[in-house]
Amino acid sequence: MSGPPQVPPKEANHAPIPQAKPFVSSLRYPSSRKTIYDRNLNRTKTTEISLASFSYLFNSLITYHHAKSGSVSEIETRLNRAAYPIGIKMLDLLLYRQPSRTAARPTRMLDLLQFIHGTLWRALFNRSASALEQSNTKKNEYMIIDNEPLVNTFISIPKEMSQLNCAAFIAGIIEGMCDAAGFSTDGVTAHWAGEGDEMWPGKTIFLLRFKDSVVEREEAIKAGGG
Amino acid sequence: MVVFALLIINKAGGLIYNRTFAPGLQKLDSNDYLILAGTFHGIHAISRSINPAPPAQPPPGNRKPPTTGIESLESSHFRLTCYQTPTGVKFLLFTSPEQPNTELVIRRCYEIYGDFVMKNPFYSMEMPIRVEKFDRALGGYLVRPS
Amino acid sequence: MATAPLQVYSFYIFDRHTECIYSKRWTTPPPSNPSAQSQRPSLPNGTAATNIASKRATKDDNDAKLIFGTIFSLRRMVRQLGGQDDLFLSYRTGEYKLHYFETPTQLKFVLLTDTRVGSMRTVLHQIWATLYVEYVVKSPLAPLEHRKGEGVANELFEGGLESFMRSIFSIPQ
Repeated sequence: MSGPPQVPPKEANHAPIPQAKPFVSSLRYPSSRKTIYDRNLNRTKTTEISLASFSYLFNSLITYHHAKSGSVSEIETRLNRAAYPIGIKMLDLLLYRQPSRTAARPTRMLDLLQFIHGTLWRALFNRSASALEQSNTKKNEYMIIDNEPLVNTFISIPKEMSQLNCAAFIAGIIEGMCDAAGFSTDGVTAHWAGEGDEMWPGKTIFLLRFKDSVVEREEAIKAGGG
Repeated sequence: MVVFALLIINKAGGLIYNRTFAPGLQKLDSNDYLILAGTFHGIHAISRSINPAPPAQPPPGNRKPPTTGIESLESSHFRLTCYQTPTGVKFLLFTSPEQPNTELVIRRCYEIYGDFVMKNPFYSMEMPIRVEKFDRALGGYLVRPS
Repeated sequence: MATAPLQVYSFYIFDRHTECIYSKRWTTPPPSNPSAQSQRPSLPNGTAATNIASKRATKDDNDAKLIFGTIFSLRRMVRQLGGQDDLFLSYRTGEYKLHYFETPTQLKFVLLTDTRVGSMRTVLHQIWATLYVEYVVKSPLAPLEHRKGEGVANELFEGGLESFMRSIFSIPQ
C-alpha cells in the first residue's frame, strides 16, 4: 500500500540504516489460490501421510525435548504436553467427521474409552488399539493397550533410560481428548509391558486415571438410571 | 545364503558397526577391525584415483565424472561387497564367494540402517551404532535358520 | 557374450622388492582431457607440451606406486580375514576391474580391464609361464634382478604380450 521505500541520501560518514522490510507472508499459495485453510476438513479423512516424514519430525521433537530435560520423567511430561493440544483438536475433528445423526460427544466413561480405543486409534493409526481393560483394584483406572505403538516403530531406547517410553506422546493426545470431553484426569501415562514378550516386545499400556469427581458423577448418572 | 559379516565405516574412516553372522572368517580383535576399516577407507579412495578407464562420455557441465571406488572384491575364500552411500558411509558385506545378489542384500542393509539408525532419536551421528532394533532387524534379515 | 568388445587398460609387473619392473598402458587415462587443454590459452613459451609429457610420466609412475600400495594392503587384508592360505584375486569399481596374480617367487602381475571381464587368472598365469619365463627369465642377456625394469621390456616379451592381449581384447591401433 505504501510507496516505494525511501532511500536516505547518502552521506560520507554515515552508513545508511536499511528500512525495515514490509511483512511478507511466507505462506505459499498453490496455483488454485486455495491454502490448506480453505480445504474441507473431510478431504484428508482417508489420506495417509508418509511414516518416514512423521518419524523424522517425531525424531526432532524427541531430540529437542531430550536436550532440554534432566530426567526420563521430564522427557515424558514434555512429550505429553506437546501432544495435549492435538487431543483437544482431534475430539472436535472426529465428531465433525462423523455422520451428523450419530455425532455426539461421548458423555459416559465407557463411550469415551471406546471412542478413544476405536475411533481415535483408527483416525491416527488406521487400526483400533489392541485391548481396553479396567483395573481390578482401582475403579478410576483404565488401561488401553497397544501391542506395537506406531510412534515407536524406529525408536530404540538406550539402556541408561530404559524406562522411557516415547508413546508418552500418544498418552498426551489421550489426556487432551479426555479433558476436552469433560472427563478430567490425574494424568495419562505410557508404560512398557512387553518385557520378556517374544511376540510383542514393544507392548505399551496407556494408564488413564480419572479424577474422583468424574467417577462420582458417573455413578450418580448410573444410579439415576441414565 | 552365507553372510559372514557386516561392517559399517563412517565418512571419516572410523568403524561404527561390526557384526559377525556366520563363522567363516578369521577372528580378529576389535583393534584389528578398527585398523582394517581405516586401511580399507584409504584403499577405497586410492582405487578411485587410479581409474585408468577413459570417460564414457563427457558429463554435462563442469562436474567431474563420478568414480565409485571398490564395489566388490574377490578372494579365494570370500567376496566383499562395498556400497558407499551418497553421504559417504560405507557398508562392507562379507559373503561366501558364490553368494548371488550381494548388491541387493547390501542395499537392504542400507535400508534397515536408514530406518532404525537414522530415524532413532537416540543415535548420535558418526558414533558407534548401538541400536537394539537395528540389531534385531539385521539379525532377522541375515541370520537364516539353517 | 557381451556386445561391446572387451577392453584392457593397463598391465604391471612388480618384483619381490616392491619395484615396478614393467608397465604398459593401452589407453589414455581420464585426467588428460584433450578438449580442456586446447581450450586453455596457450602458454607463453613452448613448455606446455613438454610439461604435459613429463606430468604424464610422473602420473604413470605415481599410479604404479599407488597400485602396488593397493594390492599390498588388500593382499594383507585378505590374509588377515580369510586365513594364511587365502588369495586376493580381483576387485571391481564402477569403472574398471583389477586382476591380481602372484607367483610363488612373489612376482606380482596386475591387469586392469573394463568391468565386464571375467576371471583373468589363467591369462595372467599364461603371461607369466609362456612369456615372462620364456623371454625374460630364460634370456641370457637379462640380469638376475631387474633394477628399474632392466631386461624385462625386450622385443620378444613386448611383442608376445601385445599379440596375446590383442587375441583377447579389442585394442585401438
